[in-house]
Amino acid sequence: RAGILIPVVRVLAHLERLEIQVNRSHKNLEDPQRAQAVEHALRTKIHKLRCLRDELRSKVKRRQARVRASIANEEPDQTQEISEQEVAERRQENVKAILQAYRFTGLSGKLTSRGVCVCISTAFEGNLLDSYFIDLVLQKPLWIHHHSIPIFIPLEEISAKYLQTNIQRFLFCLCEYLNAYAGRKYQADRLQSDFAAYLARPLQRNPLCNLLSFTYKVELRGQFLFCARLLYKDLTTTLPTDVTITYPEMDALPPSWEEQRASHENLFFTKPLHQVFTSFARKGEKLDVTQV
Amino acid sequence: MDETVAEFFKRTILKIPMTEMMTILKAWDFLSEKQLQNVNFRQRKESLVQDLVLLCEKKRASVHDAALLDIVYTQFHRHRKVWDVFQMSKGPGEDIDLFDMEQFKSSFKKILQRALKNVMVSFRDAEENAVWIRIAWGTQYRKPNQYKPVYVVYYSQTPYAFTSSCPLRSNIPLLGQALTVASNHHKIVKMDLRSRYLDSLKAIVFKQYNQTFETYNSTTPLQEKSLELDIHMDSRIIHENRIEKERVQRVTQETFGDYSQPRLEFAQYKLETKFKSDFNGDILAERKEPLRCLIKFSSPHLLEALKSLAPAGIADAPLSPLLTCIPNKGMNYFKIKDK
Repeated sequence: RAGILIPVVRVLAHLERLEIQVNRSHKNLEDPQRAQAVEHALRTKIHKLRCLRDELRSKVKRRQARVRASIANEEPDQTQEISEQEVAERRQENVKAILQAYRFTGLSGKLTSRGVCVCISTAFEGNLLDSYFIDLVLQKPLWIHHHSIPIFIPLEEISAKYLQTNIQRFLFCLCEYLNAYAGRKYQADRLQSDFAAYLARPLQRNPLCNLLSFTYKVELRGQFLFCARLLYKDLTTTLPTDVTITYPEMDALPPSWEEQRASHENLFFTKPLHQVFTSFARKGEKLDVTQV
Repeated sequence: MDETVAEFFKRTILKIPMTEMMTILKAWDFLSEKQLQNVNFRQRKESLVQDLVLLCEKKRASVHDAALLDIVYTQFHRHRKVWDVFQMSKGPGEDIDLFDMEQFKSSFKKILQRALKNVMVSFRDAEENAVWIRIAWGTQYRKPNQYKPVYVVYYSQTPYAFTSSCPLRSNIPLLGQALTVASNHHKIVKMDLRSRYLDSLKAIVFKQYNQTFETYNSTTPLQEKSLELDIHMDSRIIHENRIEKERVQRVTQETFGDYSQPRLEFAQYKLETKFKSDFNGDILAERKEPLRCLIKFSSPHLLEALKSLAPAGIADAPLSPLLTCIPNKGMNYFKIKDK
């Protein structure tokens, strides 16, 4: 019987609520004047609030305008110009520095009034060496105005082959020759300066550094002399094409020496000159340590 | 010491000016520092020379040592000789030049000694891979004449050699042959270039006289011209023809560059052309044979003088290419014929 009672109570409560609502609305209808007055008051309030809102809006707008004007009034054009000039100068310096740094690529150039001045910067084993210049006149036919290429580099030969037909090949060929020369010269210089103690006589060299002749000391149960003669028949390489090692006293030598000689010859063929002597120096140090 | 050798020493040392005595003797490197210190360099030259000759005698100096001293003296006084330029060339398809200085010297000497009975050859290495060669010529019956030697300066692994004028012209072909064969060349030709200034000749043939290049790394501004400075010097001076002056300056700069010119003393033009005249009925114009005439320009510094002609208003700019081509062509002797 409780199951039927709850829904009944609910319905009764709902009906009660509806009755109250109806009574309320009847009250308003009974007093329209009072309702109108309330409405009017509300309308006035809304109007006032709207006016206040508009006023505040315009105030904000005026203030913003004033701030903008004051910023503009602090000599606006000049400050912009100076910063623009600074920016332009800084940019120019930056570009100039980049152009100067192009040297490190090995082949760079600058336009001249009559053509281009090409700069070939040589390097070997990560060391930047001498730079050489060629001033080219861009006319038909192309010609070399002046240059700083050493006289023993076959510039005329290379020009005759490539200058008119393939300027890129001309420059690359010249780069090859100059870099190879710089590399050979570097090795010879290093041998003379860093390993003078190993040389029994001064190093003999020629301008192209393509023929090197020297007598060096070898430690092997006593001190012996080896005579080395290195030929670089390929002017575009930094390693020799012919290596001959002889001993001043030809006859009185044990067979183990032949091994040494052959191994040295091989070393000179495969490694740059100063590196070969560095390895000699290291071996020498090892020997000293073991003897101690 | 042989009489003649002692005399040779005496005459060579006498040539050396007192102010250079110490420098040259040191460069010669035959007498030691200690020995030189013991010599009185404040005495009269004749006595000093006697002391030095005695010292050389004590040290057993030979004629070869004297020849070396002569080379050193000549190196210091190279402008006292007039130098010719020879250019060698290799045959087509010849091997890479594996120049060996020792081989060159021995080969050069052998060639001369095989051809001539009495000849003395001395070598002295110099800077930049150059070798100075001194040749004293003798005859079949006479020992080499030490007072008329020929000097050859050869820059290894280049085709160029410079020789002082040879008194015995008949020996020139042999000299050329020795040079060519010893340096692995095929042919030798005498260039039309001559001057006292060896270093300038080298700069001309090696094309090293202009070594200014435009790069982004250069800090010196290229556009400073002395003319502009002159114009702004005094405001009371008004320069008429300023535009023309600037044009002349520009043309001169384009032709001669901003570098110092190599030094030559003359340029010689041998003309074998028909006479050209504006006048009609001129006698010379009617000649059928070419007019032979020699024009020689002389100057302590010819190229600088030519460079200053147009700016000074003496000549029009641009100058005749016959004058401006001198360093570029490597010639200062010209033969001009009608085409």
